[in-house]
Amino acid sequence: MNQWLDDRLHISRLNDKFLRKAFPVHHSFFLGEITLFSLIVLIITGILLALAYEPSNSLVVNTFDPGTATKPNLVPAAYHSALKINAMPFGDMLRRTHHWMANIMVAAAVIHMMRIYFTGAFKKPREINWWIGMLLLIFSALTAVTGYILPYDNYAYNTVKVVYAITASIPWVGDWVAQAAFAGKFPGAGIIPRIYGYHIMLLPGILLALTGAHMLIMIKQKHTQPQYAKRLAYKKIVGVPLITQQTPIMLVLALLFTGLVMLFAAFVPVHPVEFFGPPSTTPINNIKPDWYLLWVFGALAIIPSFEWHLFGGLIGAEFVGALVLPGIVMALMFAVPMLDRTTENQYYAENPTNHPVRLAAGVAFFAMMIVMSVAGYKPELISSGLLTTGNANTILWILTLLVPAVSYFAVIGIVRGIRALREADERESLAHAHADD
Amino acid sequence: MTRYKKQDPEITRRKFINVAMGTTAAVGTVSLVSALGTANPVFRLTPDKAPPVKGDVLVHASESKEGELIKVSDLSEQLVRAWPMGKDKDGNKVIRKGDPNNILALYRFPKGQIVEPTKLDVTVDGEIVAYSDICTHAGCSVADSDQGDGMKCPCHSGQYDPKRGCKVIGGPPPRPLAQLPIKLEGDQLVVTDFFASMPYPFLSETEWEKFKKEVEEQLA
Ligand code: FES
Repeated sequence: MNQWLDDRLHISRLNDKFLRKAFPVHHSFFLGEITLFSLIVLIITGILLALAYEPSNSLVVNTFDPGTATKPNLVPAAYHSALKINAMPFGDMLRRTHHWMANIMVAAAVIHMMRIYFTGAFKKPREINWWIGMLLLIFSALTAVTGYILPYDNYAYNTVKVVYAITASIPWVGDWVAQAAFAGKFPGAGIIPRIYGYHIMLLPGILLALTGAHMLIMIKQKHTQPQYAKRLAYKKIVGVPLITQQTPIMLVLALLFTGLVMLFAAFVPVHPVEFFGPPSTTPINNIKPDWYLLWVFGALAIIPSFEWHLFGGLIGAEFVGALVLPGIVMALMFAVPMLDRTTENQYYAENPTNHPVRLAAGVAFFAMMIVMSVAGYKPELISSGLLTTGNANTILWILTLLVPAVSYFAVIGIVRGIRALREADERESLAHAHADD
Repeated sequence: MTRYKKQDPEITRRKFINVAMGTTAAVGTVSLVSALGTANPVFRLTPDKAPPVKGDVLVHASESKEGELIKVSDLSEQLVRAWPMGKDKDGNKVIRKGDPNNILALYRFPKGQIVEPTKLDVTVDGEIVAYSDICTHAGCSVADSDQGDGMKCPCHSGQYDPKRGCKVIGGPPPRPLAQLPIKLEGDQLVVTDFFASMPYPFLSETEWEKFKKEVEEQLA
């Protein structure tokens, strides 16, 4: 039978090409794998959740608290089904696992990209995969945001309201785009079914397709080789083959990692829909997006308000803060491989300290993101008395520019120091080597 | 031997593929655009989605008292949320909460504290004032500030002063909250006109004017 299958499917070719792909041995190369495992677990838990979820925002009687016959307690069906999922055995844990996995997937993806950036692995010939990776990051964030909205509690409701407003703030076409994207004027009768479609069909489809392309290209191009491979066998691929060495490592990692997240999910509650309650006009204090979008939120909080009319369109703070600014940040990240001018193919991961400017720019970039995220806590900073309403914007703006600048020069300085030490070391060992002769 | 290169009468495969791909792309784009057209459903103005109009009475919006008429004694320097309540074609009462942007904020301050640019002639004796409770920035519901200085929007910390026409005193909102003209009739608070300035989510005066016309025609 093996022969029969092989004759038809050419498994031996597959074996040579894919199943024996060599994986570099270094822990930082596991980050991409963790992202992949999270995606798989997300799909599995997502399917289970979808089986119990009712994608509709029409009002139904809350069976947990029906109210009276004359004044029934009506809640959106989606919210009601979230309550029901929580009441299922392990239902709450399923939701939490899905939630934590989503967060970890984005985190792992971000750190994975940091690894790629700092070791120069985005250089020729791997530019395409950097760009696909960027798209994966963007679409992951979009998937996460749409997922946030599905329980349709008051928190989700306020979130989607702001997302709608951001979409509608696009000059000229904003109103039309927002209504097309969210099934009519907010909150249209079809808003939840529409977002459900995005979250379980459209976006995961895109994510899977991109992931497939990402990995095929990676297999074709091979990983960048860690530094030790250069010493071991120059210009040869060094590593362990997927079958059979890497597979058990991956399995162990996947199980260990999933187990950890489940443990998390068992004890750390997330997004308690009961606490937020069904959509209402009561505002929620201190509403915040997830950590990876906090920087956009921070930018919106410190951008001064302005309105600028241009050919009948309106360009406002909302548009600039929530779309133009992240657009610039994304464009910068997309441009990373183009800033590199080497025409040689890159085989080996580089030592970040050999590229101080790239290293410092990356650190400064993250410093800016962090400061902007902190700016997202402006109301808390004000009510805790650290800042006042009057000076908050000014101080946060100064920090937004100052902290990255300082970290840039600090990194350059530290790298210089490290290299000086290293060179001194080398000279010394050289001198000793001579003395030994 | 011919001295002239023979012209191939058939089109080349490359050309064929290019034309085929071009046609597919064109047809695809057209159908995608028309499909997107259907993504945007038509908006029907129903009485529960109409903005507050002349003659509406104000009722409580809080969960426990929803639909109860607001009495002067219910009001204070603490924000009270209200819905406008009007009538549909058959004369049945409808709370206009189909559009969540209709939520209102009511305050009652001691005489003399409410000052310009508040439109004093459409407050009740310069004591009771009504605003749209929807932040002009991105449409969140605005609450009392925990610092006791006016109103604060929880979304991006926009701040408004309800004693001075709800003008923006901090944060990103581009415009003050829209004031709603009201009067006291018996012990009911009654709306006397549309919002005095354009409320959220309108971005231009012309749009708001157009919408007001539409509403007048529909509800007439
Ligand atoms: S929505 Fe009110 S400040 Fe942004």
